[in-house]
Order: sequence, then C-alpha cells, then structure tokens
Amino acid sequence: MIEFRDVTVIYDNDIIGLENVSFKIADGEFVFLVGKTGAGKSSAVKLLTGEVKPYAGDVIVNGITVNRLKKKKLPYLRRSVGVVFQDFRLLPNKTVYENVAFAMEVVRAKKREIRRKVPTILSLVGLSDRAKNYPNELSGGEQQRVCIARALVNSPAIVVADEPTGNLDMETAEEIMKLLMEINRMGTTIVMVTHSSKIVDDAHRRVIQLESGVVVRDEMEGGYNSDVLV
Amino acid sequence: MYSFKTAMSSLGRNAVMTAASIITIACCLFLFGVFLLFAFNINYIGEQISSQCELQAFIEDTVSSAGEERILKEISALPNVKSAEFESKEKAFENYKEELGSEYSDNFSGMDGSDILRASVKITPEDLTRVGELEKAAAGVRGVARVVNREDIIRRVISVTNVIKIGSLIAMLILLLTAVFIIQNTIKLSVHAREEEIHIMKFVGATDGFIRRPFVLEGVIVGIIGAAAAIIVIAFGYNAAVSRVVEFLDLFELYSFSQMALPVCGGLLIFGVVMGSLGSRTAVRRHLKV
Repeated sequence: MIEFRDVTVIYDNDIIGLENVSFKIADGEFVFLVGKTGAGKSSAVKLLTGEVKPYAGDVIVNGITVNRLKKKKLPYLRRSVGVVFQDFRLLPNKTVYENVAFAMEVVRAKKREIRRKVPTILSLVGLSDRAKNYPNELSGGEQQRVCIARALVNSPAIVVADEPTGNLDMETAEEIMKLLMEINRMGTTIVMVTHSSKIVDDAHRRVIQLESGVVVRDEMEGGYNSDVLV
Repeated sequence: MYSFKTAMSSLGRNAVMTAASIITIACCLFLFGVFLLFAFNINYIGEQISSQCELQAFIEDTVSSAGEERILKEISALPNVKSAEFESKEKAFENYKEELGSEYSDNFSGMDGSDILRASVKITPEDLTRVGELEKAAAGVRGVARVVNREDIIRRVISVTNVIKIGSLIAMLILLLTAVFIIQNTIKLSVHAREEEIHIMKFVGATDGFIRRPFVLEGVIVGIIGAAAAIIVIAFGYNAAVSRVVEFLDLFELYSFSQMALPVCGGLLIFGVVMGSLGSRTAVRRHLKV
C-alpha cells in the first residue's frame, strides 16, 4: 500500500513541489497521476523512490515510512518499487536480455534465478524473439517494453511509470497501456504519470489530479478532465 | 566477479587514460620511493654518526703508566660511560700513520712516536643528551690534561639530517596527494562513461557499496600497477646509483636495496592501493547521491 500523509515538498530554491498532499493507494490499484507541468507529479514519483524527502509529512510504501528510512536501507525499498521512465534509459551496449538481467545482477540475484526469470519476463512483455538485439535495433514501443521488463524482473509490488507513453505514437502507447493493465491484473500496483487524455479516458481507472502541488481531484474511474474537484 | 569484470572492461575502454595515469602514478611513486630510500639512508647515516660520538680525554705527559691505569679505571667508573678504551702514545702514532696512508710513511721514518702525541682514553657515552656532564666529570679526573668533545659537530649533522627527513616527508605527502588527484580524475572519466548505468543501478536497488566496488577496484589496479612499475625501476636503479655515490663519498655506509626491500616495496604497494581506493571513492561519491 502507498500512503501520503500531509506531505509537503519544498525544493532548495524555495519552490513548493507538493503542499499538504494526502492520499492512499491500495494494493493492486491502477492510479493515474495527472496535471499540468509543474503540478507536482514528478515530486510524487520521486517521493515514492526516495529520491526526494518531504519537508513535512510521511510517505509510506508497503508499510515502510520512506522519509525515515536510513540511506543504507533505501536500495532495499527500491527493489520493491519498479520504475519505468519516459526515455526508457536502456544501456546501449547491452542486449535486451542483458538489460533486463542487469537489474537482477546488481541486486545479486543468483545466476540460475536470472536464467529462469529473464526469459519469462521477456515473454510477458512480448520480446522473446528480440532478446539478443541491442536497444538501437528496437522501435520505441519495444524499448519501452524492455524498460517495463526491467522494472518487473525483481518482482516489485509497485510499478511507478513516469510518462511511459510520452515518447510513443498513440498506437504503440495503447499497446504499452494494455501491457501495464495486464501487469496490474496480475496484482502489481501501478502508479502512472501521464499527459495523455485518451489513455486516461479509455482506461476508466482512478485519477489523482494535482495542481500547483495540491490534490484537486481524486476520482475512481475518472477521466483526464472532470468537473469533480476536491 | 561482476566488479572485477566491470573494472577490467572499464580500464580497457579508457586504455589511453589508464596508461597515462599508470605512468603518472608510477612517476609519483618512484619519487616517493626515492625519498623513502633517502630517508632510510639519512637515518642510517645519523645512526653511524651517533655511534661515532666519543669523547677523548688526553692524559698529561708526566703521568706514569700506573697513573694511566688509574685514570682509565676512574673514567670507566663515571656515570653515563658505555665503554672506555686506553690509547697509548705509540698506538696513537700508529693510528695517525694509518689514517694518513702508506704514501706518507717515509716522512715518519726513524720516529717512534713516543714524543709526538699524547696518550688518551676514548670514551663512548651511553646517553648522548648528557655528554656535557660526562665531559666535565672526565676533565675533573686527576692527570687528565683536557677533554675533546665532538658533540657539537655531531649534533649539527644530526639536526641537518632531521631537517632533510622532515623535508622528505613533506615532499612524499605532496606526491601522494598528487597521485590521489590523478587517480581521482581517471576514475571520474570511468564514472562519467557509466553515469547512466549508475543511475539505473540506483533505481533498481543496487547498494552504494555494490556500485562503488568496480570503481574502487579500478583505482586499486591502477595504483598497484603504478607501484609495481616504480618498484622495478627503483630496484634496478638503486644499487647502481649507490655504488657510484659510495665511490664518490667514502664517508658512510649506505643500505643495499635488499636491506630495505620489504619496507620500500610494501610501502609503495600499500600507498598504491590506498591512493587508488581513496581517489576512486571520492570520484564516485557525488554520483551516489540519487
């Protein structure tokens, strides 16, 4: 479960990222974070990964208060939160298989475990036949699938997707959405930041809308735009 | 294994920079080693000078041989005397001739030496810091004409060697800091080349130690190779240089390389490892703050 309790984020330059934000996301939910640029979506994502600490309030992920976590323990939290980036961030000198396996190697997974799990995840994201290809040989959609596979391979309870379809055409974006929905159906909580109204409107999932660092809407099965404001 | 493989491939990828930094580190450690050898030998020379510090109590010409025995006994019994040795007039003359060498022996033909030099007692002190007191006490023994003390000259030499030692230490410190800076910059290149990888590692939950390890290993490898190169040059160069110095300056004995091999090689290798690890740690630190 994810919980934000009266969270305020203030950056070094006195810019307010979030102000008294509170919400709960239950296990297995699919939640869209929407809002204009600078609304505080990225701050929310960074709080979940421990990249940013709140000025006030608590961020609780799977029962762990992230902001009180010692620096040494942060990597272990990150293993339970997979991150999907807009710009994929794949290593160009590694193959698809190696990019995914890399996420397991760095958390010291056993080789046998890596050999067992990576093909399974690649099959899940539909890239079994691309395992030996390098990122520059893949389309944008395929690269995003690799990024999703990498985020999933350590079996995180939560996946945070920061505009995963932002660099993709609508057709490919819809395919990525199908994949994320499928992963959510298997029990993984998904928090997705997006600017795409079509994706949000088509999905009929919970929408949390931020504006100037404040939650202005939290609607179950909402659309990208709505009159329902909190 | 992951760390080692990554470190090796990174060294290979930045081959030119790696080679340049190994050469620079080797030069720094070579100079460091030279200063180390210098410091060891200065210390050794200091020890030799200290061991040569003796007082000489000259005996009045009128003293009989029984009196000479009494003076030796009295001086031997004084506090702070390590050893005391009697030198007769004849022996003093013999030693003098020997010091001058055979080419001058003709000048002394027909002389027995009994009227030229004074008999004396050579005193080796126990504690060099209390030589002044011993000098006064020996001068007070009846029949002693005067006591010659070379302490002042010796102290001056020792203080000069101390200054040289301190100077060497400062130079060594500067060299070490330079080497750390060089290693740091080499590793920074590797870190820069792998910035994205580090970022991803942080996000998938790699610990700082795991991320840092290949870089530290890389720095340590550069440090060890640099140290090994410096050791080889020093080992071959030292004995050749020393034999020339000894030929030129036949006053003191110097250490052979084998006598200092363990502390010098050990010291250089340890410094290579420490510098490599220190330089890498500081180079990668900023990138771990995600």
